[in-house]
Amino acid sequence: MSEPVLRTENLTKRFGGLTAVDNLSLGIPGGRVHAIIGPNGAGKTTFFNLISGLLKSDGGRVFFHGRDITGLKPHQISRLGIKRTLQIKSVFPQLSVAENLWITSQAGQRFLNPFRSASADRAATAKVDRTLEQIGLTGLAKRAAGTLSYGDVALLEIGMALISEPQLLLLDEPTCGMSPAETERAVTKIRELARTIDIIIIEHDMEVVFGIASDITVMAQGAILASGTPKEIADDERVREAYLGRPEDEDYVEEAVHA
Amino acid sequence: MSAATLIERALLIAFAAFMLSVPWSVPALINSFWVSVIAEILIWSLFAASVNLLFGYVGLLSFGQALYFGFGMYGVAIGINDLGLSFWPAFGLGIVASMAMALVTGVFAVRLTWHYFAIITVVFSLIFYFLALTNKWLTGGDDGISFTLPPTFSFGGTKYGLTDPTFQYFFILGVVALCFWLMHRLIGSPLGKAFLAIRDNDTRASLIGLNVYVLRLIAFVLAGFLAGVAGALFAFFGRYASASYMFYHVSGEAVVWAIVGGAGTLFGPLVGTSIFIVVREVVSSHWEHHSLIVGIVAILVVIFAPRGIVGLWRQWMAQLAERGDAAAIKSKLRTEP
Repeated sequence: MSEPVLRTENLTKRFGGLTAVDNLSLGIPGGRVHAIIGPNGAGKTTFFNLISGLLKSDGGRVFFHGRDITGLKPHQISRLGIKRTLQIKSVFPQLSVAENLWITSQAGQRFLNPFRSASADRAATAKVDRTLEQIGLTGLAKRAAGTLSYGDVALLEIGMALISEPQLLLLDEPTCGMSPAETERAVTKIRELARTIDIIIIEHDMEVVFGIASDITVMAQGAILASGTPKEIADDERVREAYLGRPEDEDYVEEAVHA
Repeated sequence: MSAATLIERALLIAFAAFMLSVPWSVPALINSFWVSVIAEILIWSLFAASVNLLFGYVGLLSFGQALYFGFGMYGVAIGINDLGLSFWPAFGLGIVASMAMALVTGVFAVRLTWHYFAIITVVFSLIFYFLALTNKWLTGGDDGISFTLPPTFSFGGTKYGLTDPTFQYFFILGVVALCFWLMHRLIGSPLGKAFLAIRDNDTRASLIGLNVYVLRLIAFVLAGFLAGVAGALFAFFGRYASASYMFYHVSGEAVVWAIVGGAGTLFGPLVGTSIFIVVREVVSSHWEHHSLIVGIVAILVVIFAPRGIVGLWRQWMAQLAERGDAAAIKSKLRTEP
């Protein structure tokens, strides 16, 4: 088997007495959308924070395409091609939509020129215009990102992920808080992205998960409960048990299976 | 071109024309004392710009910029008095000293943000304030160091120096204008955009690949540069350097000037500094509690115009532009068959 895109070995994170991620060993192969699901507090976001470098692990290692990235700083990991979105929508509120995209596309450069005008870089502005078109925000290019509607901010986030040309994209509940129409739009975009980019997605909306994921890992209490294809996960007894406290999710599982 | 841009451009031209005519128009209209007040305003506005670069553009509130102002002053004074340097090398020494100090303290300070950052900058400035106060052999302590001005330029036998008040005014105006222009360029540059991104959302900035720590350090050293240039100019202007200008009270004043004028705007510090120094000069001869006015104005602005006076102005201009757009759309509609 070829080297997975992302592999963790005994990854552990403790917050005081609580072990948020417990000895997690996971290999994620390329070319597929991998979903991570699990009840609240299962350690999903902590897992993302460990991969992207926002948190330091207490033990274990993370490999990206076979390269050990444990302990690297967030910007170093980002420059290797691992980009992520945050659970709570997170853009640069006082910058315009176009500026948000512009700085995202330029951030990986080692030297940020202080002596020339930012708008003088034709290639970069053309790239911004293309991305604006792709996400359908051309009309709002000059608006401050902080004044956008929730759905538009989510689109902008996806645009920022796009323009940064990631190799691996970590999406943390991308459709959380979206209207059904917005969710549908976002899912279409994610599917499109998945053709060229490896994606790991944390999602609570089971319809979305079963709609786009080719593999699913279920986490509970910081460890892997089950891993497999959507069909296998839907039929797994332990997964049902983990979700017992949240019947509405079970309904989704049911619905998705019979869909 | 919209009405708002026209108004702003006209104001800018009028302002530039006034600044260039100060050595003649101000003595004719008021008296020549005010020429030096305006020169002083220019220097302090550069100092406030140093606070503004950090707070308004990178999101770091420093209460210790007086430290780098003081290093600029002492660089000049010690350079001329103890090292026997001429004008430009002394100027350079002041700037390099303040930038070096900003680099050394910044390495520690920019690891922190918000109140922790504010506290560590105060602590650094207090440490060096007391060091300057006690090491009288080097700094002259509270009395400071006075020095004789070397000439700025000399061509053959003719010497040009700051002893000529008109030359001094234009020298200060030129240096301050150059620094503001550099800052304007910086804000529009890729580096400037990275600063703004960090100010808005530092976690996100690191996730898109910006090295937040290094960028903050660069901003801190650049702010040290602005404060250092201001300090060096002020040393030339007063022909002396004193530890009292390193006190945190001086830093605090610059924070108030920058915020009242409008943090995050290029000219905010200039507006804020002008208002407060003019009030001080006008009122202090009649009434000793002039700082009360400063306090009231500061409180009113923070409550009613959180983006400062320039921010308020921008808001008006934006409304004006919007009204213009609405009118344009209306007239278009009318012309349509």
